[in-house]
Amino acid sequence: MTSRFARTGRLTGLALRRDRFRILIWILVLVGLMIGVAFKFTDIFGTQHEIAAIKDTLKSPAMVALLGAFKFTNNPSTAQIFSTEMVVFMTITQIIMNIMLGVHATRGEEDEGITELIRSRAVGQLAPLSAAALELVIVNALVAILYGIGLGFSDMHGITTEGNWAVAIGLAAVSLAFGLLALLTAQLADHSASATGLTYALFGLAYIVRMMTDVQNPDYTWWSPLGWVEKISPYHHPNWLPIVLALLLALILFILAAIINLQRDLNAGAIATRPGRRIASAFLRGPVSLLWRREHNVIIGWIIGLAILAMTYGSIYNSVGDMLKTNPTMQQVFGSNVLHEANHAMLVSFTSTLVILMAALAAIPGIQLVYKLYSDETNGWLESLYARPLSRTQLFFGYVGTGLLSSIVAFGVAISTLILVGNATLSHPKDGLTTFELWQSIWGQLPAVLVFIGIATAIIGWWPRIRALNWLYLGLGFITLYMGGMLKLPKWAQHLSPLGWMNKVPSHDVEWANFSWMLVLSLVLILIGWWGYHRRDLHMS
Amino acid sequence: MTATPVLQINHLQKSFGHFQALKDITFNVNAGEVFGFIGPNGAGKSTTIRVLLGLIRATGGDATIFGQDVWHDSVAIHRRLAYVPGDVYLWPNLTGGEIIDLLLKMNGAHHSQRTDDLIKQFGLDPTKKARTYSKGNRQKVALIAAFSQDADFYIFDEPTSGLDPLNERQFQLAVLALKQQGKAVLLSSHILSEVERMCDRIAIIREGRIIETGSLAEMRHLTRTVINVTLKTPLDVTQLAGVHNAEPGQHTNEWQFSVEAKALPAVMLALTEHHIMALQSTPPTLEDLFMHYYTTEKE
Repeated sequence: MTSRFARTGRLTGLALRRDRFRILIWILVLVGLMIGVAFKFTDIFGTQHEIAAIKDTLKSPAMVALLGAFKFTNNPSTAQIFSTEMVVFMTITQIIMNIMLGVHATRGEEDEGITELIRSRAVGQLAPLSAAALELVIVNALVAILYGIGLGFSDMHGITTEGNWAVAIGLAAVSLAFGLLALLTAQLADHSASATGLTYALFGLAYIVRMMTDVQNPDYTWWSPLGWVEKISPYHHPNWLPIVLALLLALILFILAAIINLQRDLNAGAIATRPGRRIASAFLRGPVSLLWRREHNVIIGWIIGLAILAMTYGSIYNSVGDMLKTNPTMQQVFGSNVLHEANHAMLVSFTSTLVILMAALAAIPGIQLVYKLYSDETNGWLESLYARPLSRTQLFFGYVGTGLLSSIVAFGVAISTLILVGNATLSHPKDGLTTFELWQSIWGQLPAVLVFIGIATAIIGWWPRIRALNWLYLGLGFITLYMGGMLKLPKWAQHLSPLGWMNKVPSHDVEWANFSWMLVLSLVLILIGWWGYHRRDLHMS
Repeated sequence: MTATPVLQINHLQKSFGHFQALKDITFNVNAGEVFGFIGPNGAGKSTTIRVLLGLIRATGGDATIFGQDVWHDSVAIHRRLAYVPGDVYLWPNLTGGEIIDLLLKMNGAHHSQRTDDLIKQFGLDPTKKARTYSKGNRQKVALIAAFSQDADFYIFDEPTSGLDPLNERQFQLAVLALKQQGKAVLLSSHILSEVERMCDRIAIIREGRIIETGSLAEMRHLTRTVINVTLKTPLDVTQLAGVHNAEPGQHTNEWQFSVEAKALPAVMLALTEHHIMALQSTPPTLEDLFMHYYTTEKE
């Protein structure tokens, strides 16, 4: 049996070496965010007054949906507020790291034929899988240690050593479980894109279950592994059970992955590939239809995925826009008109935050499709195309146009679904958002989506090596806005990314001047990218 | 030759940063000929072809196909051109059949009876996803798409490196048929027997430079013929001018040596004086030529 694991240690070392830059950047981002915020937190929520104000906000259904449901003592400490605001959000970021590293280390290596080369050596059958698992354990442990030590230096009121380590290890354990889920899907799917898609679909499900149960009845949140991080409650009554559960889940997922790995053939997935068409359909006739033929699952997946997320957020409008829940005497004091106005304002503010989330998410498929132009090039797939009468300009605008369209449709569908479903759940339709506000929501953030795609395009045309920076920019830009209010970030920080260049919508009106120049900017960026792309050498493998 | 060549390359150069991949490439390919482009790995064969396809831009010299510039007029050129890359990369989630049709349609051509015949001849299963194909099968997909297209200029970059001998034969027959139709073919290869059998003219590339161009017969003049001779009376052939690597054979007065092309008449005269009893002459193979260029001129 041990021979199945032969050379696992050596392969783990190799994996860590291979991914050293990715790992370094992820650790810098994760630890920087967590510890950076921890150090600022006394300034933000140091006084009883500040804490009392934020405590009520955090208890509102909108915030519970976004950040999770937490139990507070009557006078919560700064540390308790800190963990409430940060835990779910930081876990999601750490899970994304785990999924990326996990799929890349298993199915990604297999797609590139590297696993075949390695397995021809005196290496155990399970060694590549185990090395990937060990890599994830080591990286998560590293993050946990840095969290634990870093939090220890914070002077937040109410901080405890046990709490620090409970947070650090808890986040790592839950994230690791999702990383091992990625290793399992990598055994089921037969290439890395579908493994990634499958993992994110399951992760999305865990997120939605967490959100729904948090709003309805937090006791049921135990059903979502993502919800376990909420149950640690580190600075109140530290609970180690969720951590044990997460590690147990990780172990079970690893055993399942190993069993499937032993059953299946190399380069094949457990889900068999069916034979396909003998001749091409009439539709498949050029670069754009080829891109659609290859990527339509991903594009449709994003649109439907965002619509489902929007639908679940919409389904809690009734709880969010019900001031009577938090303030039962309001109607008697102010009358029903004021009440409905307040409900409406509550919903508008909730929607404004979600519009930023949807814009950041909707930009992803567009950026991915633009980046495909480069990865297809380095994969050698464009060589056959360019040997045909096909100009650089045609192919370039084929990819960029598909990317733009996918993002625009995904964003439009998400916002419309959110507001229409949300309005439908309300018991007083008058509280809901108007059609005008719906359009304002779309116009107010669409330019930001386009600018991000424009940046991606310029990068592909001139300097494809730095394309990861755009993801970082999108991620940080989103965080500064999404968390900006709660972390009381300065105004300039919130203006750093295109997401913050316009006022929040629909709580403010669309600034049409900004709208126009952002549109022009994205167009200019795309043209700059085109200029570089049509004159540069293609990179061939 | 009155007709303008299909492909004209003049002192082509390409640098990647400080590395000069192509230093001086000059050769022509005419209609109705199969032109062999040979050289070891890394000599610049694929780089040259990628410049010809407009995938990368030359840093010096010029190249035209059908009289049009390979960079600026690539789209117009590609309407009449077919290309099979050395490493064929196919979209993993499409079937071979779909890819063949797509590539044909992008040239304005369609899946024809000829396509079906080629699929049968090469023995390809077009319903399988490209992900599951071996290197040879991926090459077949590209070859079938190229051969069922009606082009005027065909470029093959090491097209048979993954094919079995049966399919290699199919490939050679198909190229021969193209030649008879008056098409121009550029065949890059390091399988020398294949080039020897099929090509009318050859260019040899080394370290980014064309070091020899011409027909195989012309090139043979540049090198040595191997002679195995048995004489009646003794003769010390090592004393003759232009003779190299002389070694006595197993029998008395049997010699084996190689002789320079220009010294051949004089050597033959000297041998006749000693009464030739048996003579075997072997013209240099392309492999000999190749080795000759790569081992002797390497300084």
